Order: sequence, then structure tokens, then C-alpha cells
Amino acid sequence: MGWIKQIITTSIGKKSVMAVTGTGLIIFLFFHLVGNSMIFLGRDMFNAYAENLHRLDFAVKVFEIGLLILFLIHILFATLLFIENLGSRPQRYAVKKDTRRTWGSKTMPYTGATILVFLVVHLINFHFTDSNLTLSELVRSVLTQPYYAALYIICLLALALHISHGIWSLCQTLGINQPKYNKLLESGARSLSIAVGAVFILIPLLALFYSNFLL
Amino acid sequence: MKLINLIVKVWRQENETSSGSFQTLKSGPISTDMSFLEMLDVLNEKLAKVGKEPIAFDHDCREGICGMCGAVVNGHAHGPENETTLCQLHMRHFNDGDTLVIEPFRARAFKVVKDLVVDRSALDSIIAEGGYVSVNTGGAPDGNAVPIPQDTAEQALDASACIGCGACVAACPNASAMLFVGAKVSQYALLPQGQPESARRALDMVRKMDESGFGNCGNERECEAACPKGISIRNIARLNREFIKAAIISYEK
Amino acid sequence: MKLDAKIPEGPLTEKWDRHRFNSKLVNPANKRKYDIIVVGTGLAGASAAASLAELGYNVKSFCIQDSPRRAHSIAAQGGINAAKNYQNDGDSIFRLFYDTIKGGDFRAREANVYRLAQISNNIIDQCVAQGVPFAREYGGQLANRSFGGAQVSRTFYARGQTGQQLLLGAYGALMRQVKEGKVTLYPRREMMELVVIDGSAKGIVTRNLLNGQLETYAAHAVVLATGGYGNVYFLSTNAMASNVTATWRAHKQGACFANPCFVQIHPTCIPVHGDYQSKLTLMSESLRNDGRVWVPHNADDKRDPSQIPEAERDYYLEKKYPSFGNLVPRDVASRNAKEQCDAGKGVGETGLAVYLDFAEAIQRDGESVISQKYGNLFQMYEKITGQDPMHVPMKIYPAVHYTMGGLWVDYNLMTTVPGLFALGEANFSDHGANRLGASALMQGLADGYFVIPATIAGYLAETDMDRPDTDSPEFKEAEQKTEAKITRLLSINGKRTIDDFHRELGLLMWDSCGMARNEQGLQDALKKLPGIKEEFWNNVLVPGTGEQLNQSLERAGRVADFIEFSELMVLDALDRKESCGCHLREESQTEENEALRDDKNYSYVSVWDYGGENKKPTLHKENLVFENVQLSQRSYK
Repeated sequence: MGWIKQIITTSIGKKSVMAVTGTGLIIFLFFHLVGNSMIFLGRDMFNAYAENLHRLDFAVKVFEIGLLILFLIHILFATLLFIENLGSRPQRYAVKKDTRRTWGSKTMPYTGATILVFLVVHLINFHFTDSNLTLSELVRSVLTQPYYAALYIICLLALALHISHGIWSLCQTLGINQPKYNKLLESGARSLSIAVGAVFILIPLLALFYSNFLL
Repeated sequence: MKLINLIVKVWRQENETSSGSFQTLKSGPISTDMSFLEMLDVLNEKLAKVGKEPIAFDHDCREGICGMCGAVVNGHAHGPENETTLCQLHMRHFNDGDTLVIEPFRARAFKVVKDLVVDRSALDSIIAEGGYVSVNTGGAPDGNAVPIPQDTAEQALDASACIGCGACVAACPNASAMLFVGAKVSQYALLPQGQPESARRALDMVRKMDESGFGNCGNERECEAACPKGISIRNIARLNREFIKAAIISYEK
Repeated sequence: MKLDAKIPEGPLTEKWDRHRFNSKLVNPANKRKYDIIVVGTGLAGASAAASLAELGYNVKSFCIQDSPRRAHSIAAQGGINAAKNYQNDGDSIFRLFYDTIKGGDFRAREANVYRLAQISNNIIDQCVAQGVPFAREYGGQLANRSFGGAQVSRTFYARGQTGQQLLLGAYGALMRQVKEGKVTLYPRREMMELVVIDGSAKGIVTRNLLNGQLETYAAHAVVLATGGYGNVYFLSTNAMASNVTATWRAHKQGACFANPCFVQIHPTCIPVHGDYQSKLTLMSESLRNDGRVWVPHNADDKRDPSQIPEAERDYYLEKKYPSFGNLVPRDVASRNAKEQCDAGKGVGETGLAVYLDFAEAIQRDGESVISQKYGNLFQMYEKITGQDPMHVPMKIYPAVHYTMGGLWVDYNLMTTVPGLFALGEANFSDHGANRLGASALMQGLADGYFVIPATIAGYLAETDMDRPDTDSPEFKEAEQKTEAKITRLLSINGKRTIDDFHRELGLLMWDSCGMARNEQGLQDALKKLPGIKEEFWNNVLVPGTGEQLNQSLERAGRVADFIEFSELMVLDALDRKESCGCHLREESQTEENEALRDDKNYSYVSVWDYGGENKKPTLHKENLVFENVQLSQRSYK
């Protein structure tokens, strides 16, 4: 299996790993989004969704481990690429202007790091908690606290920014670039990241400003 | 024709090992019809006349095709004009009183040799790994033996228009050479003549690119914006495809 | 000295075959025992180095740029000719041969030109196999266009980048051999001296441009593919580093120089706009298909072109050549433009330009049709001049473009120094007194890919296999000579810059030894040149030191050689008292002021033998024999 090592240590190999794991994470994000959207259907629907999900105990465990591996690989390779790229231009330019970089692409490592912090907080809040509250109560208990809500909003903005470049970028890395579809691909990626950001951010916003949220 | 006066802040560096610094010069009256390099010529004549050493810069054809010239002007590789090499940039795009900051192309893989002159031999060594079709002279079949669709030939030409100037590397936030490699790999990936070696070519050229100290592509698109020949990052996507295909499907290692 | 062109016996069509059969071969196992130096990496140099290495020779390849891919062949736009007859329009090897001989005004060798036409077809095949993306028809077949007045479509092209694409093909082949270890690359090296041992070329001295080190390299044979000398005129369409140094220094070591006064001048270049200008840019001649050339009727008319009424415009080409009009050949168009400007009717700030006006064509066909035809050329013009030819008449002026003269070579491309070969523009062999459009690329690649690999074996097979040694006194002497010259240049510390001298030289040569020459002007130039040389060596200012990258020093060396070489050009022009090919000798005109060739007295190649420092060179003549073509005079009335 030496060839695998050989391939993933090349620059394109590393980028492809980022793209593949990124794809996995975005798929997860999509399902997470759909799941979380249950919140808008009211407390009971939301709690029922959570309970039904947890009934698939074994599958959830497997899924979680898979997800953890994806995250770890994505983070490991990102760090590796970040450190390598730092060394690629030892002497910086005195003046350098950007032309086609976007806020998304420029901030990838930083939004990535923000997402990592968010992940830890998010897991502590909702996963590694031994409270007996129902999920809806848990959400309320966390997100009605202004500091948490603000943190969630900022981190979710970072997430939206991250995938705004990430989705298009992973296609490019995997070789998907065809003039006929590029416009569609770009606007699709942009819309998706806006949708993801908007829906997720709506939750802390509601928690913060709608006092009857999940009651 | 108009005359303008400029303040020129130019990078001066004695040799590869010395540390350089900016030198600030007054251009004196510069005709707006001059090319950027002619402006440097005028500065150099002035420097020489007062016994100072002229600014070293690479240049040759001065018609935008040899790829020898290049510097970063006010933060843009080859200056602010689109699809224009430094030698084809004209002074009419600047205004009286402007300050020009001129720096060499910077990358770990491109050492500064002197002032604005950099060593781009890393690009040649990547080509040596497979930027060709391995066919000896003599014995080639008739030129029309293998038809090539017009569109394919045009796309191959879009890619092979690369002049190897290194502006893509200079402009890339990560000093990556993916556009350069992508353009060459694409040319042969598109043409039937390039097929037999396509897997080997993609693997070897990418390996050499990594060894040479270039950074990783971040899909930031700065390279295609700086490219004086307008080469699209579509070619990078094609390189990625070729590489992944070679790595996973082919028998090559 | 006896010149032997070594033209093979037999009918024209069989000479090359017979020659290859009769030549000695080098045993495949022995090829690796021979070292060959190739100087220059343009089409001729890169293709030669690659092909020789493929055969098994050890090749050392030198170039002046930082990469072999940047040689000036890259700037050729138009295309490459081949006698494929893909268009079924009556082309043949013989027709390409005939067109080339006739285009060269019957001053080239039949056997060489025929071989060139034969090989032209192999070149296209070879380049296609290398993955050169030539233009294609919808059906996938190679596309052709007609070029340079040819009546058949035989030019293969890749947009306006044919030279670039062909060079990148040759460069790829070269880099493949670098990878194989058969070629060692020496970039950023300038050849300073040829080393001749016991009468044969055995090596070179180079200067490493990065650190100023002089280096010596020995080999069994030396191949020069160092291009032309158009930069003698200071302003030309050549790249800035193109120079005569390598061929000139070889000439001083015994290689005879042929036809140095044959220079091609291209009529449609973007004119000079100031004395700071460093180079001229060529635009395709196709512009003359729709543009009308004119100047104001009256000298010193400084009005804006839009203010000059129709009646006060002089469409001098249409008036003088009613049947060909604006489409007269390059030399006629160039000469007439210069005549108008010399008469004070030139336009623009410098007065060195004529108008090329598209107004009528735009009125006739509409802007969109004209833009479709010439859009990219108009853009290029606007990029450089800031004016849009759709609304303001274009300004054009002739510029030096290509030099037909070069080192004299025999049929094997060997110079008069055994073991020294010259290829491409560096030799004189195929274009006579004028080169056809799209033929330079053809010749460079023919020499490199197909001729030299076959002919060099004949020489090597008769050469001692022992590797020459750079420790020998000849190498040391050559190195010291170079060293002394560099030291002297750096120690002058005078008042005038190098470009200043170069400009003065260029102007003198342009005026006296350009497209029209006369006895008086040439004699005057001959008197002035020693003065320029004298002042150069006493008053030039070369800043910096010799132990580092010093671009001023590089230029100083080249200009010094241009000054010496100019004298030879003028001598050659003086000797040739006929009008021929690219230029008019004013004493030799028809009653209608057209060029008059003199086949009776000048049907020869002028071959100049170096006489020594400050001595007159000796002229040898290689008489040209035409057995397969009928000599004819041109007429464009």
C-alpha cells in the first residue's frame, strides 16, 4: 500500500483528501440541517425527531465515529497544508493586491479554526452533557444565553464563509470544472452556503428574540 | 504624448545571499508612450551616468511572448493591466506623481539572483519530468494521420499558450505552480499524441513540482488573474483529474 | 582558399538521398564517445541538441536566457511552410523549392533549397507527433493559409503563435534528453570565443552571466545556432539579447561570413515614438490587404490626419504601382515608405511613419467585418500606441526583421572551420537575398531535426575519438583573451553609455546600409565606423564589476562586436553593385526606378575571410549555378 502514502503526500493528494473529507462533512452538514429544521415545526416534532434518531443507537455510534475520523483527517491535512503554505514564500511582498480571492478563500484556515472551536463548544453543550433535559429544553437552556447565542452566530457565519469557498473548491480539486456548468456550480455553491448559514443562524436568533421559542 | 513624473521604489539586492532593501528613485519626466521596461531603461541610463549600478531585470523579446520579464508592480504580477506582460505594460496607465513599488517575483522556489532577476529553473526541471511527448526525430506518421477535432486543438492551444514567466507562482498566495503544470499537462491530456504517457506525466510532474518547493493550490484564482496569456484554472481542474486518474486507476506508481 | 560547397552529384531530386547514402556513419556504440556543443536553443539549436542526443551523442547545450524555452524563435507569428499539398491546389516539393529560390532573388544554392523543400513535410509530421497544437479544420485535418504572396496555401500555423508552439515542441524534446542525461544544459551562458585546435573547432569559452566566471568546454564538434544580427541596427524586431557575438568571434577564428549585407526589412511595424525606444514590434502584413498607405502631399504637414482633406493625401503606392497598389512586396513597400519620410512627408511626432488607413475598408465592409479580420492586430496596436485604428489611421514604418547573411556553410552545414557547424538564421544557406514569409521556422527545424544529425556523422567518423582537453594551451589562450577584453571594457570608465554608441551605430547603418544603398553613403559609413570603434574603446561607460551579474557588461561586449561587424556589412554592400532581394542599390535601377539585378556579374555568394585586426577581409566568391530554374526579373507595375 506504499502507493497510497506516495499519493496522499503529494500536494494534489493532500488537496484531494481535503476535498473528499470536505464532501463527507458537507453531506453531514446537509442532513444535520434537515434534522435541525424540525425545530421550526415545533417542540414536539423536534423532540420526537431526536428520540427517533437515538433509537438507532448502534448506527448513530458508527456514524459518529466515521464523522470524527472525517473531521480529524480534514483538520490534520488542513494544518499540514497551512504550515507548508506558510513556508512557500519566505520573503513576503511589501505590497500585494488581491484580484480574484474571495473572503471565503482568503480566510479558509481561520474560519476552519473557528469551526473547530465551535465544534468543541457545540459538543460540550449538546453531546457530552448528562442533563436529563429534553433536546428542546437543552437548546433553550443554551441558546437563550446571549453570550452563547452570539458565539453560535459568529461561528455559524464562519461556517457559511468556509463552505462558500469549500463547496466550489472541492469540485475544482476533484477536477469538476466545465464551462457549461461552471456558472451553475458557482451559484449553487453560493446559494447552498447562504442557505446553510441562514437556517442554522435562525435558530440562535429565534432563541434570543422569540421568547416562546420551543415552548 | 504626455510626460509624467513618478517615484519608483525598487527592490535592490546584490546577490542571492545578501539581504535586499528598497531604493527610492525619482523617475524624472517619463513619456506615457514608453513601455514599463523602457522606463526602467531610462532610469538605468541615469544611474549609469552618475556611476551607480543599474537595476538588473530580465527581459528579452519585449513583445510579450518569451516570458523572460516580470516583476510585481504595486502588488500585481506584471502590473495592473489584464493579460499583459511587464514589457507590454505602457506608462499611460500611470498618473503623474504615482509611486511605483517594484519587487521581484517571490517564492521559495524562485531565488532572487539580483535586484529583480529571479531563478526560475525549477519550472524547467518540472518540464524535464514529462512536459513532452516521448517521440524521437524521424518516423512520425503523416500529420493528418490522426484527426484532431478543431475544438480540442484550440483548447490545447489555450493551454500551451503558457510562456513560462512564473507570474502564476508570483501571484499565488501559496506560491503554487499548479497553473504552469496544469497548462502543460492539459495540452497533452487533450491531444491524442499525449495519451500513452498521460499517467506517468501527471505523477512525475506533480512530484517534481512538490519537491521544488512550490506551495499547495488553494483554488484562490489569483494565478489566472495574473496570467499574461489568460490561461484558465480549468487547466488546474484537468490536472487534478489527470493526477487522480493516474494515481487511482493506472498501473503507474 | 578554395571553397567547396560539397554539393552532391546527381539530379536535384536525388542529391540528398545519395548524399546520406555516401556519407560515413558513426557506429551506434561509438556515438556516446563523442561530445557535441550546441550554442543556442532556438528552433535550430533546440531541435539539433535534442535530435543529436536521441542518436546517442553527448550534447552540451548553451543559451543566453535563463531557460532554453525563451530563444527568439518564440516570437515568430505567422507560420511554417511545407509542401504537403493538403489543399490539392497544385503545390509540390518542386514548387516550394522554386518559390524559395525565386523569392530569394536567385542568390541561394539550388541543392540546399531543394533539400529544405523535401524536408519541410517531415517537419510537420514530426511536430504533430510531438503534440504541437496546429490549427485544424472542423473535420480534424490540419488547416493551411496562404502567406507572403504565395499562390498556394501551404502555411501551417497555430494562431499567431506558431514560433512559440514549435519552439516549445523542440524545447520539450530537449528537456526529455536532459532528463535522460544525454544533454547537459548551460543556461545564462554567453559564448565568448571559439577554440580551434590544429585547424578544427574543439570547444568554446563562455561567460557565466550569473557570476561572471569564464568557463571552457571541449567537444568533438561545435554547432552554432545563435540566430541573426539584426540588432546591429539598434532598433529591430529582434529580441534584446539577439547578437552577432558568437558568429563574429567564430568568424575571427576562421569561419568565413557569407552575404552579410543581406538584411530583410519588414514594412508594417509599429513606428518609433521616441529616442528611448528599445525595440520595434512587427504587425502582420495582412493589414495591407485592406489598409491604404498614404502621406500628406506637402512636406512638414503637421495637421491631424482627420484635418487633411482627401485631395491633399498622397496614396503613393497606389499611384506608383497601379496593378499591385498597397500589396507590393515587402522590400518595395519598405523602400517607398522610407523615401517619403526622407522627403519630409513622414507623419507622427518623429516624422518616421506613414499612415495605413482603414477608413475606406470600414466604410465598405463595416466595422464588424474589419474587426473580425484584424481585431487582434488592432488590439495589439492599441496596447502599444494607445490609439484605436478603427478611428485613427494606423502609423507604420519598416523595421529590420531577419538577416539572410550568416556564416558560410557547405551542403553539410559545416563552416570553413572543420568541426564548426552553423544552423538556422546563423548560416546563410537557404534564403538567398530575401526570405519568404513562414520559411524561417522551416529552415531552423530542417537544419536541426533532419540535416545536422545526418551530416555531422560524416565529420565525426573521420575525427579522432579522443576527448579534447580544456587544459590545452589553446583553451587557456582563448580564456585569457576573453578575460583581457572584459577587463579592458570595465576599465575604460568613459562618459558615454553603451546604448548611446549602439544608437549611433544603428542610425548610421540604417541610413547607409539599410534598404537602399549607394556608393557614396557606404563609403561615408566606412570612413565613420573606425571613429565609432575608436571612441567606443576609449569613452564607453560600463558600470559594475565582472564578477557578478552585469547586464551592462554583456551589452558592451555585444555592441563592440556589432561595431566591428558593421564594417564587414558595409564592405559587402559596397561590393554588390546590383539591386537584389531585399535591397536597392541606387546605381542599379531600371528606367522606372525599380530594382535591377545583375546576374552576369553578381550571381555569387560573397564569402568573407577575416583578415586580422584592422586589416581588410578577403572576398571569396562561390558561384551560383542554376540548372533547374530559369532566372527571371521581378515586376510589380
